[in-house]
Amino acid sequence: MSDAPTIQIRDLHKSYGVTPVLRGCSMNVSRGEVVVVCGPSGSGKSTLIKCVNGLEPYQSGSIKVEGIEVGAKETNLPQLRARIGMVFQHFELYPHMSVLDNIALAQVHVLKRPRREANERAQQLLARVGLADKHAAMPVDLSGGQQQRVAIARALALDPQAILFDEPTSALDPEMIHEVLQVMSELAKDGMTMVVVSHEMGFARRVADRVVFMDAGKIVEDASSGEFFSTPRTPRAAEFLSKILSH
Amino acid sequence: MPDVILKNLPFLLKGLWTTVELTLWTIIFGTILGAVLGTARFVRIPVLGVLSTVFVEFIRGTPLLVVLLMTYFALPALLGYKASAYGAALLGFVLFIGAYIAEDFRSGLRSVRPSLIQAALATGLTRWQVLRFIIVPQAIRSTIPSVFNQYVRLLKFTSVASIIGVTELTGAALLVNARDFHPVTLLATVAVTYLVLCYALSLVGRALYARLVVKT
Repeated sequence: MSDAPTIQIRDLHKSYGVTPVLRGCSMNVSRGEVVVVCGPSGSGKSTLIKCVNGLEPYQSGSIKVEGIEVGAKETNLPQLRARIGMVFQHFELYPHMSVLDNIALAQVHVLKRPRREANERAQQLLARVGLADKHAAMPVDLSGGQQQRVAIARALALDPQAILFDEPTSALDPEMIHEVLQVMSELAKDGMTMVVVSHEMGFARRVADRVVFMDAGKIVEDASSGEFFSTPRTPRAAEFLSKILSH
Repeated sequence: MPDVILKNLPFLLKGLWTTVELTLWTIIFGTILGAVLGTARFVRIPVLGVLSTVFVEFIRGTPLLVVLLMTYFALPALLGYKASAYGAALLGFVLFIGAYIAEDFRSGLRSVRPSLIQAALATGLTRWQVLRFIIVPQAIRSTIPSVFNQYVRLLKFTSVASIIGVTELTGAALLVNARDFHPVTLLATVAVTYLVLCYALSLVGRALYARLVVKT
């Protein structure tokens, strides 16, 4: 089991009605690996990672998370999702709960941790993302970057095997992007398995082990980070890189 | 205070109390009914969801007086029980206002962003847990203004109960008027009393909303 990839995607097809979104995607993510998924908007990146924790159903192909088939009828999706954290573009903190309660909720009701233990863990994680003093704050009182760090703490609180990031910095002001990427880099350094949909090419170059480039619902290129930036194999990836790196 | 009011004060106050009592009971049971029906429609519970849709559409297309006449005459005849005027009025108001609250509550449930629901599901919470911890608490808060609007309408609607013989505020005033004939004084007093009660009720709603509103 331990050698099997944490996430294994095989020939995944998905469409919204007649519009195909994913057209035969395959990739693996091994334990401890950091994979950045990039590509033009509408290429299916977000849909791909939302299929991984079953937030989006797919029509054919297979996704296995630690050997468990996500799309199988008998799969207990809540249980599976608790083992894969997810961080969203617009943070999605629960607006009617304090920061601490945001991080404690699933610990108490999914992992069945005692409330006190959940709060302690939440407090630890807040310290880890540099927000120890914000436990009583409401989400609306935090900046975007702070909210996203709380969202990362919320994902970490379940001790996940992997975390999916769906464009975690694209709704942030430039000066807040840094603080979020900083937290993510530290996570990567600690060995967290991460799949990051992002256009942060600096982050991809520095932190990612691999870069996956998608276009029109297909994985066009899947290469080590060094390779991807120095010698992209496909003209489409080269064109994308030149556009995104030229400004 | 005019003589006609003073002389009949205990009787009128009793009518006022009946109005208040009828309103409060209806608020309690109507809100529960509305929350259940609205939720059943929102999560599309099989059978119950369809039944609530039919019920809500039926009530919304029926005049209040007809609903009260049904609960006073038709239902007891159909099901073979004896209805008191007060009981029939209470049942009618609960059904009537419950249908409207169901719609308000359903739109409150629907106003929670789908992406927020996805985020909650992504933490491993089940659909019911997401409903309970994330969607309903926010829906309650966002529905407060429209639900209190229904309460205020209800308070005024209770006057219709006088037609089936409930001696609430309006009914009491009509009885006094039948004996002493002071329509202007009596109806002016009744109108001002409703105004004060409605205003107080909407103040409670505003205060509650200000306390609980979720800023986003």
